[in-house]
Amino acid sequence: MVKRLSEMPEVEANHLRRIECPIYEDTPPLAGKPLGERRVAIISTAGLHRRSDRPFRPGDGSYRVIPGETPANELVMSHISVNFDRTGFQQDLNVVFPIDRLRELSADGAVGSMASVHYSFMGAFPPDAAEPHARHLAGLLKADKVDAVLLVPV
Amino acid sequence: MGALGHFLEREGIPTTGISLVREHTEKIRPPRALWVTFELGRPMGIPGDAPFQRRVVQAALDLLARTDGPLIADHPEHVAEPADFTGWACPINLAPAQIDSLAAEVDRLATWYDRAVAALSRTTVGVSGLDMRAASALVDQALAGDLPEAQALKQAVDDLKSYYLEAASAFPDAGTPKTRKEWFWSETRLGAALLALQPRLAASDNPQHRILGNLTLIPAVERHRLV
Repeated sequence: MVKRLSEMPEVEANHLRRIECPIYEDTPPLAGKPLGERRVAIISTAGLHRRSDRPFRPGDGSYRVIPGETPANELVMSHISVNFDRTGFQQDLNVVFPIDRLRELSADGAVGSMASVHYSFMGAFPPDAAEPHARHLAGLLKADKVDAVLLVPV
Repeated sequence: MGALGHFLEREGIPTTGISLVREHTEKIRPPRALWVTFELGRPMGIPGDAPFQRRVVQAALDLLARTDGPLIADHPEHVAEPADFTGWACPINLAPAQIDSLAAEVDRLATWYDRAVAALSRTTVGVSGLDMRAASALVDQALAGDLPEAQALKQAVDDLKSYYLEAASAFPDAGTPKTRKEWFWSETRLGAALLALQPRLAASDNPQHRILGNLTLIPAVERHRLV
């Protein structure tokens, strides 16, 4: 079980401590409709993409497009980091990218609807490299009537 | 990850997210985060456990109703440590001493890889676009002193690792992910090859080779194996 860094194995904790975190002014959370009326998109930072897409490269702040109906076998991962488990992803896409869970919640009515398109970045991006892509992405999400995003790291 | 919460919420898109490293999230302060204690690489906790995963998704989405952020909520469920398979050994003989080449090792695993693909109806191999013989040839080329372009080598290595670990998941006594990773790094010819390549990449004049050698080839928790 991963807990606080102070409770983790020293090697792994030290690796995580060395990762520089950007500091931002607080962003006020936006109010919105009840979940049962929202349209939800998943944005992963696992470096996921379709086999035919360009793999991610070091320093890459761009995103890849994952249509909601993409078959699980079409998705591969080109995250540059070797410091996280990939066997879970090998066994079950949803442990990284919970697209089937979102589909179920949408079918149950707990979530209003699923976005038609989802996205993945590659989490080792320098924040400055990703920001313009994220701003552009916000426009695409609005065009798809998305009013809630689930951010899933790896 | 948390940075995207700032970027999107400022553009008018409400966000919620998973936090795997609480200390990072406490610094980045995204609008909303659900902290989970799961292993890195498994943000939904347990592969193949749909109800567990659904509760994680639901808990994260429920935070959207809150506007008192930046907030970090603690997910109440945890994943138990897998049973300890001390003494587990690979049931088929793949030890480097018994196999004379990387290509032979790759071939030896093909049956098990095929079984894994059949069982899972998918594979995560396929980033490099190479078949596994060609990918292993690239590693052999690097070992012989002719370093391929860093990105091509990285993608070939990542595909090979996925191929090995997917194959091992189909062994008759497959152990746990932890024991299979131990097998990969301590018993396979490929694991030994990557450990042997690390110092050569780190000493290269090419900065991309140095990034690969120093950061993205050997996991931090396996670097103790480097001599």
